[in-house]
Formats: sequence, C-alpha cells, structure tokens
Amino acid sequence: MTTRRALVDRLASVVGPSNVVHRREDLLVYEFDGTIEQSLPDAVVFPGSTEEVAAVVRACNSLGVAVTPRGAGTGLSGGAVPAQRGVVVATGRMRRILEIDPLERLAVAEPGVPNIQLSEAAAEHGLFYAPDPSSQKACTIGGNVAENAGGPHCLALGVTTNHVLGLEIVTADGEVVTLGGRTCETSGYDLRGVFIGSEGTLGIATRIVVRLLPVPAAVVTLLGVFDSVERASATVSAIIAGGMVPAALEMIDRLCLQAAEAGLQCGYPADAGAVLLVELDGVDEVVGPQAALATAACLAHGAREVRTARDPAERELLWKGRKGAIGSLGRLAPNYYILDGVVPRSRLVEVMARVSEVAKEYGLLVANVFHAGDGNLHPLLLFDDREPGARARVLEAGAHIMRACVEAGGALSGEHGIGFEKRAFMPWLYGEADLENMERLRGVFGNGGRFNPCKLLPTGTGCGEMGHNQAAMRAAGPEAYV
Amino acid sequence: MGSEGRHWPLPEDAPAFADLSRCVHCGLCVTACPTYVVTGREAESPRGRLYLARAVSEGRIGLTEAVEAHWDLCLQCRACEAVCPSGVPYGRIMEHVRAQVAAAPAKGRFARRLRRLVLRNLVARPGVLAAAVAPVRWFAGSRTRRLAVKAGLLRLPSMVGRLEKQLPHAPGRPLRAGDALPEVEAASSRAVLFTGCVMGELFGNVHRATARVLARAGIQALAAPGQVCCGALSAHDGDLAFARGLARRNIEALELVGEDPIIVDAAGCGAALKEYEQLLAGDREYAVRARAFAARVRDASEFVAELPMKVPARLGARVTYQDPCHLAHAQRIREAPRRLLAGIDGCTLVETVASDLCCGAAGTYGLLQPAMSAALRARKAAAFHRVRPDAVATANPGCQMQYEAAVREAGLSARVVHVMELLDEAQARAGG
Repeated sequence: MTTRRALVDRLASVVGPSNVVHRREDLLVYEFDGTIEQSLPDAVVFPGSTEEVAAVVRACNSLGVAVTPRGAGTGLSGGAVPAQRGVVVATGRMRRILEIDPLERLAVAEPGVPNIQLSEAAAEHGLFYAPDPSSQKACTIGGNVAENAGGPHCLALGVTTNHVLGLEIVTADGEVVTLGGRTCETSGYDLRGVFIGSEGTLGIATRIVVRLLPVPAAVVTLLGVFDSVERASATVSAIIAGGMVPAALEMIDRLCLQAAEAGLQCGYPADAGAVLLVELDGVDEVVGPQAALATAACLAHGAREVRTARDPAERELLWKGRKGAIGSLGRLAPNYYILDGVVPRSRLVEVMARVSEVAKEYGLLVANVFHAGDGNLHPLLLFDDREPGARARVLEAGAHIMRACVEAGGALSGEHGIGFEKRAFMPWLYGEADLENMERLRGVFGNGGRFNPCKLLPTGTGCGEMGHNQAAMRAAGPEAYV
Repeated sequence: MGSEGRHWPLPEDAPAFADLSRCVHCGLCVTACPTYVVTGREAESPRGRLYLARAVSEGRIGLTEAVEAHWDLCLQCRACEAVCPSGVPYGRIMEHVRAQVAAAPAKGRFARRLRRLVLRNLVARPGVLAAAVAPVRWFAGSRTRRLAVKAGLLRLPSMVGRLEKQLPHAPGRPLRAGDALPEVEAASSRAVLFTGCVMGELFGNVHRATARVLARAGIQALAAPGQVCCGALSAHDGDLAFARGLARRNIEALELVGEDPIIVDAAGCGAALKEYEQLLAGDREYAVRARAFAARVRDASEFVAELPMKVPARLGARVTYQDPCHLAHAQRIREAPRRLLAGIDGCTLVETVASDLCCGAAGTYGLLQPAMSAALRARKAAAFHRVRPDAVATANPGCQMQYEAAVREAGLSARVVHVMELLDEAQARAGG
C-alpha cells in the first residue's frame, strides 16, 4: 500500500505538479462518464507526451496502483471510470493533430483530439474521418480506439477498427510499441485489431494513424415518419433486403423524438410513433434512384410521410436531433441507463417488443434511439437515482434486455463496449476456455490486472463503489444471469 | 425548494435541484466551453462545474476554495447551454452559484466585495458612472494616449496597460437615457433605444449609428428617460437582489413610453432584458410585467434584418463577424448580423474559425481572470491574422474592446466596429 501523498509526489516528479490533481473537489469530476457508474480516483494525471505516459504507467506499476485511461469521459459503458480507484490518466494535454496527408489520405493524431476535429481538419482537402459517434463533437479519438466506437455512418463504412491504420501505444507494462502502420495491410498477427476495442485494458494509445475518405459528392437525407416502431422496423428490413446499404439508417421512437424536438427544435413531428432517418450518399446517378427506392419502401410500410432535407442546414438539423437525442432525455428524468445490444436485423421487431415488455414489468419508462440498419439497439431506461431501489430495478431490467438480445443470436455491445456491468454476461457468449484465452491475451500486454481493472472480462474483484451495480444485476436471477 | 438549499449559505437563491438534475453528464457541452478548450480539464468544463454544484447541493463537498476557483473561471458565455440537448439552464444555475459564493466566500472576500461595491455604486448609478468614465473617454481619443503608447509607457503588464489596449479609438460623445436623438421626418413608428451603462458612456457612437439606421427605415429612436443599467453584470456576479431592483426600474421606466419595441445594441444587455421574467420569477406582479416587457425587447440586428424596407448600402471591405456570446448562445441569434453584413454591396464577409468561441472579455472577467482572458484573446488574434480582415464586426461593447486589443496583438490595422456602425456607414455612402 502506498500513501496518496507518495503517489502524488511520484506522479508530479514525472509530469510536474501542475499536471497532477488530487484534491477531492478536483477528483470528483473524474468519478463518472456518460453512464451511471461512479468511482472516485486517488489522483488524475495529465501527461503531455508518449514518454510521459510510459513513465506514469511504470510509476503506477511500481507502486501497485490501478491505472484507468480517460479521454473526454463521454463513454457509455463505464470504461473511463476508475473501478479500483488508483490513477486516471487523462489525455487532455495530448490534443494535437500531427499530420494530414491528403495524398495518402490519412491523418496522425494524439489520443485527446476530439473525433470531429479530424473531419474539420481534413475538410480543406475534401476528406473526412468516417466513424461518427453521437458524441463526436466531444469524444476523443483515443477513446474511440479503446471502445471501437461506431456511429450512424458506420452502417456502410464500418466502425473505428476499419479506419485505424496504425497505433503507437504504451502497454500496460509501460513499454512503447507500434502496431500496424500507415498502410491498410500489415504482415503477421493483427495486433492493431486486438488493441482496438480492448477498452483500455491493454494500454493507452498515444498516437493514432487514421484513414480519411473523400467527402461524397451527393448526399440525400430522408426522414420517414411512422405511427409505430413496428412499421419503421419492417421498413428497415425492406430497405436492406432491397439490395442497398444506406450510409445511415437510424430509428428514433416516440419518447425520444419528443425529447429531442423539445430540446433541439430539429423538425421531428412530435406526434409520430417513430421516425427513420435514412441517408444515402455517393454520386448523383446512384443516390437519386436509391432515395426513390427508400422513399417507396417507407411508404409501402405505412409511412405517414417522407421528408427530404432540402439543404445542408436542414440535414444538419435532422442529425442534430439524432445526435442529441440521448442527452435530451434529461428533460424527462434525472437519470437514464443506456443499453447497447445487437440483434440480427430480422429479429428487430420481436426483440423491441421484448424490450417494451421488460420495461412494463419493471414499471420503467423506456426510450429507444438506435442504429436500426445494424440491428444495434439502445434502449434507455429512465429513472430517478434518488428513489430507493430504482437503480437496482433498472439494472435488473437491463440484464433481462441483454439476455433477450443474446438469445436472439445477438451480441452484448455494438459500439459502447462491454465495460463494467455487462462483463458479467460474457459467459453467455463465451465458454470458460475462451475467457481464459482472452485473459491470457490481456496478460501479454502486461499489468497483472491493474490496467483498467474490472472492465471487459468477468474476472477481477474488489471493484469498490461500483460493486453494488454488479450485485444488482446478479439479482436478476439465474434466468438472466447464467 | 425547502431542503434543497440547506447546504448553501443563501438558501433562497440556491440553484434548483430541477435545474441541476437536468444534466445527465453526456458531455456534449465540454468542447463548446472556452475554458475546457484551453485547459483540457473537466473541472473547467460546464459538466464539471455542474457536477460540483450538485455535489455541494447534496452535501458531498463544501464550498471550498478549490470549488470556487472552478466556478470563478467560468466566463458565463453560455455556449454550453446552446449545445445542451437536455436544456440545462446553465446561465441561471451559475448566477445562483455565484450568489452562494458571494454570500460566504472561502477566499477573495475583499476582491469580491470591491467588485460588488463597484457594480452597485458606480456602474448602476448613471451620474457617478458618467463622472468616472469622462476622463477615460477623453484619454481614449487623445494625443496623450498615442504618445504614451509610442513612448512605451503603458507596456508594463499592469491593469492600466491592459485596459488601454482595449479602449475604442474614437468613443464619441456619450448617449444617455433621456438624451435627445435627431428627429426623423414623417416617422412611421417609434422604438426605444436601450442606452445601458458603459455602452452609453463609451459607445455613444454605436447608439447614434443604430438610431440613424432606424431613422432610414422611418423609425424614430427614443433614448427613453429613467432607464438604468440592465443588471446583467450584477446578476452574473450573483447579486440577484440588486439585479432585480434594476430590472424593476427598467420595466417601470419603459412601460411609461408605451408598447414600442425596445432595441438593444449590446448583446449582453439584450440577453438580460429578455430574461427579466426568469430573474423576477419570485415576484408575482413584476414577473407578469417582465413577460410583457421582454416580448418588446429585440436585438438591433435581429430587428433591422427583419425590416421590410431595404435601404441601399455600399462599402468595399473584407469584414469578419465575431458572435457575441450573449447574442449567439443566450439569444440564439447568429444569422441576422451576418445577413446584414453580407447584404452590404461590396462587403465580403469572411468567417474565422470559432467565431462563436468567447473572446475572453465577458464583462468584468478580463480584469478578474487576466490569464484565461488573454489566452482566449490570443486565439482571436491568431484567427484574425489568418484571414486579415479590414474590419472586425461584433455587437457587444465588451467584445468590441477585447477585439481592439486582439487586432493589435495580431499586428493588423483592422478597425473594430459594431454591426450597426458598419451598416450605418455603408448606408450613408450609398447616399441614404
């Protein structure tokens, strides 16, 4: 055991005293992320370079202190919450875009660069960075790599791992290693692919090489207005079955679109049962006919109306509503618990029905906004954390919903990561041997379980304040918790 | 209310739990926040500041020096409010938070008291303010200033030196409440011009330009007597009781002149006047009157851009427009001033990056937080350096002063003007 004073002094000797915070008031703002998880760190450190990150990690290792990497803290699985206290390594000082190479169509960035700044910086060359999480104005590229973040436009273009060419990382052992490079293909095992989506359990990315794509020549954005989620879901299947892959295919249900409209005045009809946001891009010759097909599919499945964004401003507004939809739920309740499950598209209607059923059983309001084209659901259970027992009820309900996704042949995360509580469900998908192998892989990068502990894999104990959340999920019983 | 305020020193003005709990810490606001952009630290972000307010509210932490320092660094620019999907009334919360800090400050008692003393007894008293500003106004346009600058007398990193850089170069005569404005022949309607405090003393020229622009559209402007400081500076400082007093006086004074629109050419004042109903929510009688009052308030650009009659305007210049925070974020007006400038024949509107990121002036902020203020000003200077405008246009006195300094820092000779000044000049040139 080491004292906080000793820890702070040691960190200060690496990065300078002004780049370490340790007073309770200063630490409080690092105890949470975009979820309902909370755990206070002992110290937060702001390294300014790869070397400093490595030195910080080595210092923590020698003191036997847990390390949790953090970008902007917008994550939705508790990934940046320091479950075993210890040290949060925040990338707030590493925010430079080091290079934009329009010829090779790539960018090199430090981990703390907000996602959207990559596209902003590439715009003058007619290029952009494709993965666009809803929090893209704030979330960092380092965090995106850790969680293998997705976004509405990942339907056609793929998620973070499809757009990262290479990484410089500091491993959990404090070693600086390069994975991948500047080209699409590298020889040998795809360790770059292993690292992306490792949720900060293997190390910290300190330099990231991303692929940039040309901005499409033509874009059409449609808003299909439906009376029910079922009709909108059926349309999703029809559009995909018709043979095209839209750039984005997003659904927002009644509760969510009402909140978004109230908060952002984005032009959603507040009396609709659900809206589908369909975006098509490419060249004019393709986009036009595709838009006509998508419109026809909406109407054939009972759309009450299909609107087309007339100009970039209107398109921006439609997306503003979608991207702010989750945050806008703060209008309806003081807290929400967001889930991130994946189901085969063909089972969408059935699983959505199960989601409503579970919510009803637990007496909870549920709002839905999700990447319908990917079958990636985001049910949001609304509650008030001050109400005794509310959190436990929500977590239990969440477990049942995740179970339903898995039983439908789906997965435990589409883009937010497994994070903290869902790791308990990993045995639903993987046998003991699989999990052991994953544990062994984790060991290759070092650490002894102290690097972002209690995340992703169902091992690791002593998760302090967050333990009660997991206990609540276990309470969902043997049927939900196998 | 009731138990909600029990951990705060001034329970009657405690931030409401309903306001605080609107924040679901999604984090979409953080990169809109100037201090987060500069520091990369979450305690200097809106989400962080709200979280700390909630922690105090729940008794998890006390009102310590560290907490106050994070709140003090807030510019109250409300950029976060404009991007918040949940509709957290951040500006209101922060005014209530400041009220708490002022009631029982952990540190800086003297500075806080002095600021309040100045805001109450100097800024809000027209006669005292006029006397205090008179020498400053003389100095601003004087030969002495030019000589002092040339001789490097003001190069010391003193408060005087900082202030000098910000002073307008031709402040013109003051325009105060009750002053006469030229009579418009055959005026079709009338509008009240809100004169304000510092605005009327140091930017009388802007008021006159606004009046002329209105006159060309057949509107008689009236600097109605009895109006006083809008109270924004006091409210931002958390002196809500005093701000409410000023609000009542303005409502009374401007009710007397009928129902004419109230035109405001200072964004900070406009935002405050439009929100009088909120400020006076606890005062049943005045809250109703405040609603009627606020419905009359229009920003000058907002009002002029919607006038049916278009007056020809011509001016060959590269102009960049910088959004005042309390116009873009608090009043959500971004297009109107741009439309007016782009509508001037020969005027090229050039955009800079982050034109809506706070310049660091923020009322009294520049004096209290010189380092952060300078960091934000330097960003503006760098942006100006890249686009090299002939003129920087904005719509708020504090911003205008900060840009005077930023332009000089960028080594440019661009002039800094209010949108109304540029429009007035362009209309005059076109023969209006």
